Amino acid sequence: MSRSNTEIDAAARVPSWISEASALLAKDIRAELRTKTAVSAVGVFSFASLLLVALATETLKEVRTVSMLRLPDIVTLTALEAQMRPAWDSPSKMGLLWVLLCFAAFAGLSHSFVHEEETGTVTALRLSMSAGAVYTGKLVFNLIVTLAVAIAITPVYMLITGMRLGSPFVFISVMFSGCLGLAGTATIVAALAAKARGTGALFGAIGLPLLVVFLILLINAANALYTVDAPLLRLTKDVGGLFSFGVLIIALSALTFPFVWEE
Amino acid sequence: MATQPKSSYANSNRSGSQRFSVPAASALQGAGWKWGMGLLMTYVIYGAFFVAEGAVGFGQGGDKARIVFFHVPCAVLSSVCYFVGMVYAVMFLVRKRDFASDAKAAASMELGFLFCILATVTGSIFAGVQWGSFWNWDPRETSIIIMLLLYASYLVLRGALSMQPEKRARLSAVYAIIALVPAQYLIWAVPRLLEGNHPTQVLTKASNTSLSYKLVLYPSFLAFTMLFVWLLQLRVRQMQVFADRRARLESENI
Amino acid sequence: MAESSVSVALEGISHRFGSRSVLVDISLIVCAGQVGVVMGANGSGKSTLLKIAAGLLRPESGKVAFTLESKPVEPMLHRRCIGYVSPDLRLYHELTGVENLEFFGRLRGLRLNNDGLRDILDRVGLLGRGRELVGNYSSGMRQRLKYAYALLGSPPILLLDEPTANLDTEGVAMVERVIAGQRSRSGGGLAIIATNEPREEAWGDMSVRLNGSK
Repeated sequence: MSRSNTEIDAAARVPSWISEASALLAKDIRAELRTKTAVSAVGVFSFASLLLVALATETLKEVRTVSMLRLPDIVTLTALEAQMRPAWDSPSKMGLLWVLLCFAAFAGLSHSFVHEEETGTVTALRLSMSAGAVYTGKLVFNLIVTLAVAIAITPVYMLITGMRLGSPFVFISVMFSGCLGLAGTATIVAALAAKARGTGALFGAIGLPLLVVFLILLINAANALYTVDAPLLRLTKDVGGLFSFGVLIIALSALTFPFVWEE
Repeated sequence: MATQPKSSYANSNRSGSQRFSVPAASALQGAGWKWGMGLLMTYVIYGAFFVAEGAVGFGQGGDKARIVFFHVPCAVLSSVCYFVGMVYAVMFLVRKRDFASDAKAAASMELGFLFCILATVTGSIFAGVQWGSFWNWDPRETSIIIMLLLYASYLVLRGALSMQPEKRARLSAVYAIIALVPAQYLIWAVPRLLEGNHPTQVLTKASNTSLSYKLVLYPSFLAFTMLFVWLLQLRVRQMQVFADRRARLESENI
Repeated sequence: MAESSVSVALEGISHRFGSRSVLVDISLIVCAGQVGVVMGANGSGKSTLLKIAAGLLRPESGKVAFTLESKPVEPMLHRRCIGYVSPDLRLYHELTGVENLEFFGRLRGLRLNNDGLRDILDRVGLLGRGRELVGNYSSGMRQRLKYAYALLGSPPILLLDEPTANLDTEGVAMVERVIAGQRSRSGGGLAIIATNEPREEAWGDMSVRLNGSK
């Protein structure tokens, strides 16, 4: 039998994990562009939630105007009640934006692992790729989706709610750190939920508690972002803290992923 | 077909069930120390109401601070239990088929959940009595609720995998390790981010608490820790019994 | 064969699912140019044994050792030497046959050009159907594509679980050709088959019978 171009000793050309991961990423993007499942789930959810926010914002504007008029009533409120009244300032708006992004992400980010597990293509992947490469490929895919959603939603949200920009560099740092933390958490939780053959409910039940702490760090960073003339130390501490969450989650995920992936 | 012996402290070499031992308890075997713990706890409960004088700064007679004898150990244990669980999770992953560690990790997390509930409830009672409102979203209160949520999600994951013990052990171990990141931030970073009403400062000032107060508080820590160890042993033994029973059912040729 | 450039040695493999013993102390050694057969009734553990050989499952006890070019292969690199076909192997239904092969080929360090693709599709009898979505293939076509996937890069070790599942007589002939080609692979080649069919047992040089769960 004549030797075809494919009959080359595979051991001679072992691909690095980066090229393995990028092959997986390319495959996922191609499959996603063809079936559009994750994107449509995320897209519909984002649109609906933006609509809700637009409606809610109208109501909140009214309440604030009314309460501003009734000054003497405000003075008689107890200290505790005053603490509990929601403040509709920029840090709060940022917090709400990220709540929306978290839910939007959870609508779509489990798809990458759950689909592989449900259709049984995991076997072929396990035979073809190292665990580290699989994790990297899926993480980058989720990161791209998260960034895309953030970039699409944030400007519209800012228009609807009037959230301020603050210093552009710090704003972008906060948003990117947030995306990193969100994608990192969602990826490992998706891997766990997929292996547990769980529904989307399991994915949400496991992932969202991890993200509650993340949201607290994010609101803290948002406070620093919107403080006028915040000292550089404070900015570094708060935004850096948020960034470190994502980095640590990804580091621990990379370490423990092989235990999820192999049997 | 080999019959399964009753001893529940044998190691896992036998074909069939997952047998595991409780080595942490080897230093604490027998009934003696449990009686000691029982007496100590009785002293603590009695002492909380009759021996210790109330702390300064807590209203008339400082009586409201008495709940501290129960609240603080529970709160501390709720964090400690998580770390214990996480250590056992790491041990499970590092060794092969070490279901003993998995059982201890699960039991630790369950107990952590229990102590977290107790800490939340006692804290809420204290808030209600001291400030008139049972829940304020104070940073400490928020943290304990989030800790509760983290424990709950661990238990949910385990529950979803109840029919596949090997997978359950592996995946919940990974989850315990991943959840270390939010837990760490929760325990160390979140309380420092905002000022709150939590009376840590008031209580740690030596002049505000009398000697009799400390005479009850420190033994209380000890008593609760011993209680944790005892409950851990009990729970692991219970898991062993269930595993044995399941193995016995599976080995019947039906 | 005196000198064996490629070999697979399964030594003392035992495995349990829960408390149910599926494999008890199974051993099998297959050398270059040979075909080993694992026979047994349904549920006897044939697929499990093959999964263990492929590295998809870690056995309770026992060892899986590969040699390539007469040198032992590190366990982490076993999967690079294997082509695996099995009923529970699934390829991507949302991609075409060609896209699947290009993807998995890339993971093996292969760049397939059109000639290479034509060659491999012809070999498994899918020539002309490569640009259709695998989701639209018949079950027989999917089985053939699995062979194309397994043969990417011409691995020295073929592991075939139920090799002729879903295949017509043409397809069975294709499998026979593949196995014959594997025997005479330059650089050494071998195959291990797991099957129920007595006809397929005849393809092998040696066989192991599994007795079923205890």
